[in-house]
Amino acid sequence: MSGPRRLGEPRRARVRADARGRPLSIDGRAVEAVRESWLVEDRWWTQQPLRRRYWEVVTADGRDVVVFRELISGGWFSQRG
Amino acid sequence: MSIVCVLLLRFALTMAAGEREALLREPAALAPEPGREQMIGEVSLAAEAFGVRAGMRLGEALARCPQLALVPPDPMGVADAWERIMARLESIGAAVESEREGLACFDAAGLRRLHGGTLDATLAATRRALGRPARLGAGPSRFTALAAAHRARVRRPEVIAGDAAAALAGEPVSLLRLRSVTSALPEPLERLGITTLGAVAALGRAHLADRFGPAGLAAHDLVRGRDESPLRPRSAGETLAEALELPEAGSGEQLERALGLLVDRLLARRELRGRTLRAVAIAARLVEGGTWRERVVFREALADPVRMRLALGRRIGLLPAPAEVLRLSVERFGPASGDQRPLLEDSAAHRAARLREAIRQARAAAGPEAALRVLEVDPGSRVPERRMVLTPFEP
Repeated sequence: MSGPRRLGEPRRARVRADARGRPLSIDGRAVEAVRESWLVEDRWWTQQPLRRRYWEVVTADGRDVVVFRELISGGWFSQRG
Repeated sequence: MSIVCVLLLRFALTMAAGEREALLREPAALAPEPGREQMIGEVSLAAEAFGVRAGMRLGEALARCPQLALVPPDPMGVADAWERIMARLESIGAAVESEREGLACFDAAGLRRLHGGTLDATLAATRRALGRPARLGAGPSRFTALAAAHRARVRRPEVIAGDAAAALAGEPVSLLRLRSVTSALPEPLERLGITTLGAVAALGRAHLADRFGPAGLAAHDLVRGRDESPLRPRSAGETLAEALELPEAGSGEQLERALGLLVDRLLARRELRGRTLRAVAIAARLVEGGTWRERVVFREALADPVRMRLALGRRIGLLPAPAEVLRLSVERFGPASGDQRPLLEDSAAHRAARLREAIRQARAAAGPEAALRVLEVDPGSRVPERRMVLTPFEP
């Protein structure tokens, strides 16, 4: 191990969403319910701003999953932590 | 020095067959113990005639002798019966070594004056003490005594004196099976056409060493009448056991509770007199017939019921079927005071040094990432990956 390693790094996820951006399935698992959704905006004062729409959902097989959509560069990610 | 050997052929099979003696006149073998390797135990004489041997795989034994009757093993009954025999031998003053049930050796030198001054009188006293038919042999070493016992008839002991090598020369190589170090040799020797101990001696030490390594060297010594390893008699001790009948066949949690109760009862016995326990045996009579027995040697002598239950709990999980009787017996006592813990706690520096050494060893075995710690960098951050990092652990 060369140096410190971040915990909870985002991982790319396959998410199908409706027109409003609400997840319908994650990695092939249907979304049963949305528990919470929130927006994170950070470092807007720098050259590398961060803008994410987070969704905490429960899938049909009972998993509690947190995913977010990267609003600047696009793409879906899942994240623990 | 004259060693006396007591040999009860097919002891485990006879005990397991119990009153079904007629079984032993037919091809029969001890079935493999449940949950263990599928190898048969002792076999009857009739089964030997079909080429079936103890330690053979079950499939091969049945292929050689399709009518082979399998007798469920009774390790608990065998251990009890053998313990009684050992106690009888010890009652005449013998310090007895027993490698396995059915075979016991002791040095008769110290006993002669107790029993009339001659070896014959000592053998007669041994026979009286046993109170059951057994083959008795005597010789200058353990192996010669063993060979003599093998050759003896039930009512007539055999004594080998004088030139041991000459006396052993005509004996079959299968005798080497009786010593653990050479137990694997008879089969290849027989395949090579070497059937007597005399023929083995004629091969020469160098040839035996080349072909069989240390076992060959040991065989060469044995067939020349040399068996230098000293007898290791057990220290005659009292038996201490607790048993519990389980009215409804016990398994799982019920069995664990029963085991806990047995541990408490055993530790409460007055005979323990504050001693610790080094080794115990758990045995069970199974509902579907047969018994199960497991010897447990503790890593250190114990008197703590909690640690004892932890150590035994894992073994009880190996029980192959529900039990109707569970028994816990002491195999060996430990010293009166077990592990002496330090009166004062280790100093912080001492503990840190031990931790550093443990981490060094873990990294040497599993790589540099074997010991890491979680470091909180920004625990309140709204972005999860910025909250914590993994970093090498440095005590």
